[in-house]
Amino acid sequence: MFLSILLYVDPGSGSYLIQVIIAAILGILFYFKNIWWKIKAFFWRPKKEDTSENDNING
Amino acid sequence: MANYTRHPASFKDPSGFVFEWEGKYYRQVNQYYAAQYRQLMDSGLYAQLVQKGWLVKHEEVHTNLTNSDDWYLTLRPETIPYISYPYEWCFAQFRDAALLTLRILRTALEFGMILKDATPFNIQFHKGKPVFIDTLSFDTYDPSQPWVAYRQFCQCFLFPLYLEHYLKSDIQKILSTYINGIPVDIIAKLLPLKSRLNLGVWLHVYLQNTNIGEKGNKATARFSRKKLNDLVTHLENIIRNFPDDKPIKTTWSNYYDDTILSQSYLQEKEKLVRDFCAQTGARTALDLGANDGHFSKILAGMGMEVVATDMDSRCINRLYLETKKQSGLALLPLVMDVSNPSPAVGFNNQERSAFHDRIQMELVLALALVHHLVIGRNISLQTLAGYFNKIAPQLIMEFVPKDDEKVQQMLRSRQDVFIDYHQEQFETVFSQYFTIKRQENIPGTKRTLYWMVRK
Repeated sequence: MFLSILLYVDPGSGSYLIQVIIAAILGILFYFKNIWWKIKAFFWRPKKEDTSENDNING
Repeated sequence: MANYTRHPASFKDPSGFVFEWEGKYYRQVNQYYAAQYRQLMDSGLYAQLVQKGWLVKHEEVHTNLTNSDDWYLTLRPETIPYISYPYEWCFAQFRDAALLTLRILRTALEFGMILKDATPFNIQFHKGKPVFIDTLSFDTYDPSQPWVAYRQFCQCFLFPLYLEHYLKSDIQKILSTYINGIPVDIIAKLLPLKSRLNLGVWLHVYLQNTNIGEKGNKATARFSRKKLNDLVTHLENIIRNFPDDKPIKTTWSNYYDDTILSQSYLQEKEKLVRDFCAQTGARTALDLGANDGHFSKILAGMGMEVVATDMDSRCINRLYLETKKQSGLALLPLVMDVSNPSPAVGFNNQERSAFHDRIQMELVLALALVHHLVIGRNISLQTLAGYFNKIAPQLIMEFVPKDDEKVQQMLRSRQDVFIDYHQEQFETVFSQYFTIKRQENIPGTKRTLYWMVRK
């Protein structure tokens, strides 16, 4: 039973370190993207930022 | 008291399980999950998700219906009438299910909780919209830990979407084999070379496919809320940027637009179908070979609950995008090949039931389908009548004779071995299983519409 709980709560056991690496790469990427947005916003009127709330998955 | 049947798919999670009792479905919350359940309810997360229509509503039943020792609470969720599985969804349905999962994850994080699993089987389509049905998927969030269900999300949502996006082909049959998601080593081999130029594919597929992650564990992998936010934002961006519809034209995707069949044929047929359907008195209908759903929409408009199926996922994609806009329409479009419907799969072949065991309707509609099955798939009229007898209490079927232009088109590319394919034989064979209540010629054609009732 104990083992089955562990298996259940840990479906991505091998994916922990990968997530850390991916998140680190994304962190750097988003950092520069932010700077780029700020530069753009300085010269042009900022566009309304896209958020997931704008998606129309619910029709 | 404990006269209940545990749902065969509900065996993985120690937090609780789904069971049937006196014809209704319930979800038991075990003591093991009591603290998390209280957090879900007391933090306001449940109310928020239900108010947005993202999570299925439930009532609390304070009775231990299963007589189990570790019982904490019983939930009676709102009924979802028709259960569908990811390998029956079109691309847009799959994409919306993935986005809903991420959106729920984001909301859960605001309330100090996280999704402990991310499988499309936790999503169902109800009144045209995706809804999350596993109330016990929420766990307390620990910001120092990565997302436990990240790999599962990739295998179950992201990889199938990538595959369909890059291959531009239907992948439903692949998904019905890999019900727990497509393994990363398989997807890495299936995606075309050009996909390597895409950052998302490179990070979530090829990097995951290396052995870098194998040495990692909970202790060495330190995470943060910001890192998780970045990861979720990236996954959302990838999925939102997939186009709604693929630009490929298939055999069926413009059937009614391009067809040489005249508009008057469609109008006459529509009049007859309306008339026949009204006579049946049926409240639920399964439309087989629905194409763009023209007749499914008519039936839904008449107040019936309709499941519309077609083997062409682009047709179903178009229909889904259309029904999504019409809020509350009881029409569920699904990808299904009549000559090979979804089988029972999973543990003990009971985890996910076969299509026709799951979706049983009072009326089955089979318009302009018979020639595709008999001449296209070599299924004899006798075998076909037996199949319809199994699935259809009432049947509305269109017979398309051999001298019809569409049948002639099909016969041009193959030898005519169908000596028994004619109207008289059709009636003889179907009369063994059904009582023919009414039959009408569709004006301007040699086609006939039948209304039959199972004997």
